[in-house]
Amino acid sequence: MTELGKTGAYPVAVGTSLGGALFIPRNVAIVVVVSAVTALIALTAGGFWLSNFTQAYCIVLALLGCALLYGQLGLVSLCQWALVGAGGWVALRVYHSFHPPFVVTILAGGVGASVIGMLWGLPALRMRGLYLALVTLMLAGAFQVLISVTSFPVGGPGFLGQVGMSGNDRVMMARPIFASSDTAYFLFVGFMVMLAIFLVETHRRSKPGRAWALIRKNEQMAMASGVHIVFYKAWAFALSGFLAGVAGALMAGLFGQLDDSAFAPTDSITIFIGTLLGGTGVWLGPFLGGILTRFIPALLIDYNVNSYVGLLFFGMALTHALTQAPEGLGGQLTALAERLYEKFKRRRTS
Amino acid sequence: MIRIESLTVQFGGVRPLDALEGEFKAPICGLIGPNGAGKTTLLNVLSGFVRPVKGTTYLDGVALTGLSPARRTALGLRRTFQQEQVVDELTADENVQAIADHICPNRHDAHNEVKSALSFIGLAGRANVLGRQLNLFERRLIEIGKTLVGRPKAILLDEPGAGLNDSETDKLRSLLKEIPGRFGAQLVLIDHDADLIASLCIETMVLDFGKLLAFGPTRTVLDAPIVRQAYLGTG
Repeated sequence: MTELGKTGAYPVAVGTSLGGALFIPRNVAIVVVVSAVTALIALTAGGFWLSNFTQAYCIVLALLGCALLYGQLGLVSLCQWALVGAGGWVALRVYHSFHPPFVVTILAGGVGASVIGMLWGLPALRMRGLYLALVTLMLAGAFQVLISVTSFPVGGPGFLGQVGMSGNDRVMMARPIFASSDTAYFLFVGFMVMLAIFLVETHRRSKPGRAWALIRKNEQMAMASGVHIVFYKAWAFALSGFLAGVAGALMAGLFGQLDDSAFAPTDSITIFIGTLLGGTGVWLGPFLGGILTRFIPALLIDYNVNSYVGLLFFGMALTHALTQAPEGLGGQLTALAERLYEKFKRRRTS
Repeated sequence: MIRIESLTVQFGGVRPLDALEGEFKAPICGLIGPNGAGKTTLLNVLSGFVRPVKGTTYLDGVALTGLSPARRTALGLRRTFQQEQVVDELTADENVQAIADHICPNRHDAHNEVKSALSFIGLAGRANVLGRQLNLFERRLIEIGKTLVGRPKAILLDEPGAGLNDSETDKLRSLLKEIPGRFGAQLVLIDHDADLIASLCIETMVLDFGKLLAFGPTRTVLDAPIVRQAYLGTG
């Protein structure tokens, strides 16, 4: 049979393809964009804003996991912020018990949240849509109840690691020596965000990414293609939980401790809204969505406006995203970059 | 080859398949019948999506009963669906690679088989094009390409020619004809296009309301008055 087309006769995707045809430009784009934004913030922000951008980068990690589940498998997870808290709890527990190197503490937080996310997710793997959303929201609610009773470890005795009512004996989690200042710590978190983006992109472009794409298209077709649905869904839950756990550990490193009241279930819903606003198809979506999720409330606080006004903004932005730009902010910017890149390539070849 | 023994499927009070018997022996076999005859249900039973209340199916003498769809795929059973299932966000190459990932023993074999399948269906030059940019014919071809990796033993094709024009159907016909010789796989083809069935299939099974109406050489079956009455609507 004859060839039906020739390479290059039709446009190939740049940012949205899972293929390797334009692997180098995409990887370069990740390094350039994340480094440039991180450097700009590190050079210009300080105090209040630097702390907020460090938190925003932690939220980017959580959004990467949420976007992975929704974008790759169509699964709505409303417990991502609770998993951030769970990762933070494990990281603090490990730190106060063993004082391991900071990177080990972060990994422990990631693995801890990954296991919790997977254990909760496994029975829910046959669910989709609203039912899965409700089950995961229940996890977020359960975590809030549990953490408000037990609190985060602060270096005290026993498994829960609590100290007396005065709190004078609290021990703060130390940052690594190479990232003890606020700016250095922000740069470290920026580096972790870059690694996490590469981790997710590597998954998306390889065997698990292709399996997830088949599952999202049609589970029966995926099964007929030899894909083990439960295994690959569990893998996605584990990876998503890992990213949330790393975010929690980095938050613990930022403040030295974590606040019980900062992990309300509504925050998990905000994380999901941020995921939709940023977009789930490309890496830039969670990156921008995470920054926006923290930047808007921080901006309102800075201007002495009630931070609940932020919810109004998110509601309006979500309506816009769902009706006008389902690919999200990241998707729109990537499409623009692709068009410019194709124009640039055509000009160079002509 | 595929063998079916006393196969009965029941959905509530409805029996889409009722004590069906038969053995597909020819390299290319047809499966026809009016709408609701039970053709797709039979494919769903063979590929493990529907559990029969009675009876067994075999692939090359191996009983398929109780095996998961993924396990059946590993044994060499492949299928396509009535509605093509090309993933828009994956390239043509990745759509085929996605099944090779889970069937081929190693990455090297998978890569070679994907290349060979794309070349066979004539889409090697379109390997890097996204699924959403492929036309219907190319998407149908990708569906066939997906079934060719990992040394298939039997390929179940559910209306592979649906929506294609005459020239595309001709191309599809010559492509399907080559598969048994080139890949050593048996084809079982469901289609409403009697010409396609007549020109491709050596033997054909006709179902009507879940029961076996006729089974044998395609020309004989298509000329049988009972089949013409039930399926073609002429006496």
